[in-house]
Amino acid sequence: MRLKEIQRTAHQAWSPAGHHPIYLALGTSAQQLDASFNTTAALEIFEMDFSDPSLDMQLKGSLPTSNRLHSIVWVNFGMGADGTGGRLVAGSENGTLTVYNPEEIMSSGVEAIVGQSDKHTGPVRALDFNPFQNNLLASGANDSEIYIWDLNNLSSPMTPGAKTQPAEDISVVSWNRQVQHILASANPSGKAVVWDLRKNEPIIKISDHSNRMHCSGMLWHPDVATQLVLASEDDRLPVIQMWDLRFATSPLKVLENHTRGILSISWSQADSELLLSSAKDNRILCWNPNTGEVIYELPTTNQWCFDVQWCPRNPALLSTASFDGRITVYSVMGGSLKAQQQSTADKISSSFDSMDPFGTGQVLPPLQVPQPTVQDTVVPPLKKPPKWVRRPVGASFAFGGKLITFENPKPTPVQSPQPVPRQVFVSQVTTETEFLQRSRELQAALQSGSFNNYCQAKIQNAKSDAEQDIWKFLLVNFEDEARIKFLRLLGFSKDELEKKISKCLGKSFQPNGHGVDAKDLAEKMQRLSTERSDEVTAVGDARTSGSVSPADFFSQTPKENSNFQIPVSCDTDGLISQALLVGNFEGAVDLCLNDGRYAEAILLSISGGEELLKKTQQKYLSKQKNSISMLISSVVTQNWRDIVQSCELDNWKEALAALLTYAHPEDFARLCDTLGGRLEREGTEKRCLQACLCYICSGNVEKLVECWALHRDCSSPLGLEDLVEKVMMLRKSIERLRNSEVAVQSPILAEKLTCYAGILAAEGSLSTAMTYLPDNSDQPGITMLRDRLFHAQGEAAIGQQPPNSFNRVNVSTAKPTPAAQTTAPKAQIMSQYQPSAPSQVAAQAQPPMPSVFTPQAAPANTGPGLPPSSHVLPPSATRPAMRPSYPQHPAPAPGFLPHQPFQPQPMPMGGLSAFPPPGLMPPSSQPGAPVPMYPGGLHNQGSAPPMASGPYAPLGSGYPQGGPGAPAVKPFPAAAVAPPPTGPQEGWNDPPAVRGGPRKKKVPDNYTPPAPITAPVMGFPVEAPQPHDHAQVPPGAPQEPSVQLLQQLPAERVEQKEIPAEHMVLKSTFDSLVQRCQLAAGDPQTKRKLDDAAKRLGYLYDKLREQSLSHNILNGLHEISRCVASQNYQRGLEVHTQVVSSSNFSEISAFMPILKVVMTIANKLGV
Amino acid sequence: MVSVINTVDTSHEDMIHDAQMDYYGTRLATCSSDRTVKIFDVRNGGQILVADLRGHEGPVWQVAWAHPMFGNILASCSYDRKVIIWKEENGAWDKMYEYTGHESSVNSVCWGPYDFGLILACGSSDGAISLLTFTGDQQWDVKKISNAHTIGCNAVSWAPAVVPGSLIDQPSGQKPNYVKRFVSGGCDNLVKLWKEEDGQWKEDQKLEAHSDWVRDVGWAPSIGLPTSTIASCSQDGRVFIWTCDDPAGNTWTAKLLHKFNDVVWHVSWSITGNILAVSGGDNKVTLWKESMDGQWACISDVSKGQGAVSTITDTQQNEQ
Repeated sequence: MRLKEIQRTAHQAWSPAGHHPIYLALGTSAQQLDASFNTTAALEIFEMDFSDPSLDMQLKGSLPTSNRLHSIVWVNFGMGADGTGGRLVAGSENGTLTVYNPEEIMSSGVEAIVGQSDKHTGPVRALDFNPFQNNLLASGANDSEIYIWDLNNLSSPMTPGAKTQPAEDISVVSWNRQVQHILASANPSGKAVVWDLRKNEPIIKISDHSNRMHCSGMLWHPDVATQLVLASEDDRLPVIQMWDLRFATSPLKVLENHTRGILSISWSQADSELLLSSAKDNRILCWNPNTGEVIYELPTTNQWCFDVQWCPRNPALLSTASFDGRITVYSVMGGSLKAQQQSTADKISSSFDSMDPFGTGQVLPPLQVPQPTVQDTVVPPLKKPPKWVRRPVGASFAFGGKLITFENPKPTPVQSPQPVPRQVFVSQVTTETEFLQRSRELQAALQSGSFNNYCQAKIQNAKSDAEQDIWKFLLVNFEDEARIKFLRLLGFSKDELEKKISKCLGKSFQPNGHGVDAKDLAEKMQRLSTERSDEVTAVGDARTSGSVSPADFFSQTPKENSNFQIPVSCDTDGLISQALLVGNFEGAVDLCLNDGRYAEAILLSISGGEELLKKTQQKYLSKQKNSISMLISSVVTQNWRDIVQSCELDNWKEALAALLTYAHPEDFARLCDTLGGRLEREGTEKRCLQACLCYICSGNVEKLVECWALHRDCSSPLGLEDLVEKVMMLRKSIERLRNSEVAVQSPILAEKLTCYAGILAAEGSLSTAMTYLPDNSDQPGITMLRDRLFHAQGEAAIGQQPPNSFNRVNVSTAKPTPAAQTTAPKAQIMSQYQPSAPSQVAAQAQPPMPSVFTPQAAPANTGPGLPPSSHVLPPSATRPAMRPSYPQHPAPAPGFLPHQPFQPQPMPMGGLSAFPPPGLMPPSSQPGAPVPMYPGGLHNQGSAPPMASGPYAPLGSGYPQGGPGAPAVKPFPAAAVAPPPTGPQEGWNDPPAVRGGPRKKKVPDNYTPPAPITAPVMGFPVEAPQPHDHAQVPPGAPQEPSVQLLQQLPAERVEQKEIPAEHMVLKSTFDSLVQRCQLAAGDPQTKRKLDDAAKRLGYLYDKLREQSLSHNILNGLHEISRCVASQNYQRGLEVHTQVVSSSNFSEISAFMPILKVVMTIANKLGV
Repeated sequence: MVSVINTVDTSHEDMIHDAQMDYYGTRLATCSSDRTVKIFDVRNGGQILVADLRGHEGPVWQVAWAHPMFGNILASCSYDRKVIIWKEENGAWDKMYEYTGHESSVNSVCWGPYDFGLILACGSSDGAISLLTFTGDQQWDVKKISNAHTIGCNAVSWAPAVVPGSLIDQPSGQKPNYVKRFVSGGCDNLVKLWKEEDGQWKEDQKLEAHSDWVRDVGWAPSIGLPTSTIASCSQDGRVFIWTCDDPAGNTWTAKLLHKFNDVVWHVSWSITGNILAVSGGDNKVTLWKESMDGQWACISDVSKGQGAVSTITDTQQNEQ
């Protein structure tokens, strides 16, 4: 395809490969005249601007020269680092060799000539520069003259050796492309001589003895040091000979196709399989010199082309110089000529129009330039794709951080005999090593349930105090006595306090004058209560009576005096006495208050009944104006809102401590959140961290996320990991507490988790990513990622088919058929294979279809309407059951039954159960709890209604109950045991010791899917009331009684972790199998395997204890166990394969492989 | 860290020129100078030859998977001037459409974002870029940008689907008014951006920085930020990262990622758009990541087949 053209009769030189932009230098040719007989000469430089679609070349500089040229080259020598400059060297008809600076030609032209030599005696026809040393130039002229020039100094050129005899013209010189000191020269008589410049002599002469080779061109092979081609100008032998110096007696190959003598050749340096030749038959051919095949013929004019040259920089370009005076630039990549030809015709036509060349005075009709047959305007590219378009290497990313790479060995000139392996590599790219490590740790903790250890490790490795605080708080949520531990974390240690108090009691009591100091406050409170209890004790001792009624107090007061008088005077004392004597407490209290006798007033009002006490308290408090009054007021009136709403933010710890100690469970979370909200609004990072602690106490995952994200960078993987670790731990503690999964509700948390899953996916942790992806979201981004993760996992994820995340578009090649028709058979085919079947339009709106995608798994579970008879999980829970890891939830409670008790899910492994069997709780109040501090009567009134019957009756506010840090109030334990378990409650009332067995069969009926969190705190939405049970006790609630009980009853706790009876057979069978094998095994390797097996089977037993294995797997295990018992290991292995192929890999990966190993060993040993 | 997890022996009889995973990363398509396209199921580290597609009469340069919502569709382009769109029907792969509208080697094919429907851009050595749009009922609409790059177009890559003016959040509900854009690179050393306006494709931007053929261009996936990012690599050994922050898309700034000593053939963005894989003529693959301060650093050299990795944190080390 023709790209540029200009009317010149000239020799040409491309700018070197390193030169940018691409220039073409043209020097007026010697021995050629055009019709004007103009004998001036010039050196011109044109720029090739290919962004300009026209054929014009842009003239950049021109220099008149005194002589016409026979040869011209553009060398790298003197080229700047910017890729411009170099030197133009021209050989003229009178023997002058001139060196030009092209930059000067293009600018001023004043100092364009930088060197000149008249050493040659005749026309300099041959020039070539050394490809290794750019200052070396070879030239050839008449009389066998060959000079080697140093462009630094033209004064003393070297010769390659003695002149060849007889003296001849040198028509061409050429440097070897591989060995820098080898030069070849050729002359029209057909002889070629190879010179070794180190030896300074010719080392070989090439001639085919035909005497018809008239060398017009000679070139070394670009890649093979010993090969060169010679082109013959003789019409009788219009061939190119390829010689190899190793067999220099006859040509290796002869390229025959031209019909007349060859004028010029050019060998592509970019692809040694491309050799151009132009000949007197008007053709320009491109050869593959290695095969001798003509792979391209340039569509040319009907004129001889005396010079053809590849462009060194742009390998697809070549230029030709023809005797009709045109310099043309072509591309060998084909293309259309139409547009350009049109423009040429227009140009010619318009030029004629304007000048009226024949002087007839008539306007000529527009010139009809004959189009060279329209069909031929499309020029095909080279038959053989050139090397420079053959991409040899590639690397592409794919989903899940995969990198697809391939490479091709560099092609060698000599074809290697053995086939090259054509491989593509799939690699996993991970960039976030620390992130992945921490994610793995988190995942391990989540799966194993070892939250305490995890938190503890976090505390140890915390980088900052704030971080450590947060982890300490998170840890407490998993511990017993959470409330007390929270207090301790806030700096209120019970033990220390007691010490302080005892110390303090030795001293006189100093009223605190500077605001609410928390420790003092606590001391005071404690002192108050201690004093009071001291009194009580004193009374008890004195009276040897357990009763501590107010009357006793009163009666005891005068004890100090053996005899006392009852004043009945008219002063205050007397009036009080009188009022008391008639039982007018109210009057007596009023009198006391009036007189400032607050203590008496309070004492009296205690005897006077609740109402009076309340009134008295109010009156007292309204009169008190000191700093602790607010706290006392709050304690007495249980008005904690005031505290959290109006305390100094610096006192957040104290406020939180008060909440932990006193607040009602149903208020606790909200109050914590209020406090947290205030801190958060303050906006500083410190406050936000404190707010986070509040949210951790309240168990408010969403607020924690929002608050955290305010000040911490969550965009980086590690930043996100920081957040997710905390969120997951908090959620886990709430789930443990509630015994159900917590769904992600808040958009910000969903966003963070999605982002987290995205990073995990990008790092290749596909299955882990899946577990974090919010399940209940229909956001396009999330559903899409889920779909992609699902399919990307291949068979490992079977059974988790998410709904299609996008509408399938029917792009059928057949005539479009109704989707319903094509879908049905297709689904069958695709089910085992690739779920992204085309034209699954109909399927997109449907829920997951386990029957289609896991045809062999859990047959009992296929119909959502069929309750499996002996299955732990209801059909709706099939999906979560297949997925072992943590944050997965069944579809939003389709079969939700408000009055049914919880599915007794396995207790989290390893941790102490915070919830002992309710039946073991004593009906007494909690020893050690701060209840004594409570005014008992008040307290009882506040939460009197029994709570264990039916759904939780909200206490006035209707607010969800409790937070993890909320203290349990007195009625709780009592209420929890109060009604005897009846009917549906038996699910959770069953002692764990009898978990499994017959009870299991009932479970599906009793199952209640976990409710999603809809309120900001843990708790249960009013519209979906959850059965009240022990699980509602917040984690921070005082659990002393239960702890004590658990400590007293270690047996129960062990039993709780026992393998269900019906699965014990698995353990006994497999254990005995391992033992038998161990006895029989001889070699240490097998023994080691078996030792490992004994350990690994522990995972299986753990899973059995947790009852976390799906029905399908359990059935399989039992089948295997039967096979093992009957020593039919072959059958056992078959069943094993079935189970493995139909189950979620991660669910069984811990133990199934080792089971197979054991069976294989057993089979081999024949035990 | 880069570790080889699967080695697929393609049994191609000549040079491999492209290897692309499908949307899910479960199928691998390869193409070669042996004129074939092969599809492998590579799930779970396996390699099952699913299809051996024959139909091209020259080396096949590139393959491209369509989004799975359209079914299993693969496009391939070849030196034979043809673009073939292959489709799987009932488990069997077959030609769906053959486009012969180019006059020279078709060097690059790229599917547009699925939001635009089934649309394929093809860049050819004849200098033109074709846009093939599936209009249903086996019909393909063809638009051609003639002389997009003189001497030839080497690469095309689509911009992610974003709605102008609301680059981050777009109201759901109404059909968004996408502006279709793509980038191309060619033998005129230019990177060009194209935009569809009123159904016509127009040159939007011309980015000049390379001093030799632009071998490949890659428009980075959108990561929710209103910044557009393009990587281009060239015969001149340079890789540039072009970024544009203004919503109108008019101001592009170039940053030199690195100057390699050999031709750079290919650039590929990770799915999340934060890592760039660069493959060069020295058979080396390097991975690059932008640091917080906006500097691009080589994070690893991938020695293929060995799984060996040397992590390079200092960019200077890689200057060689």
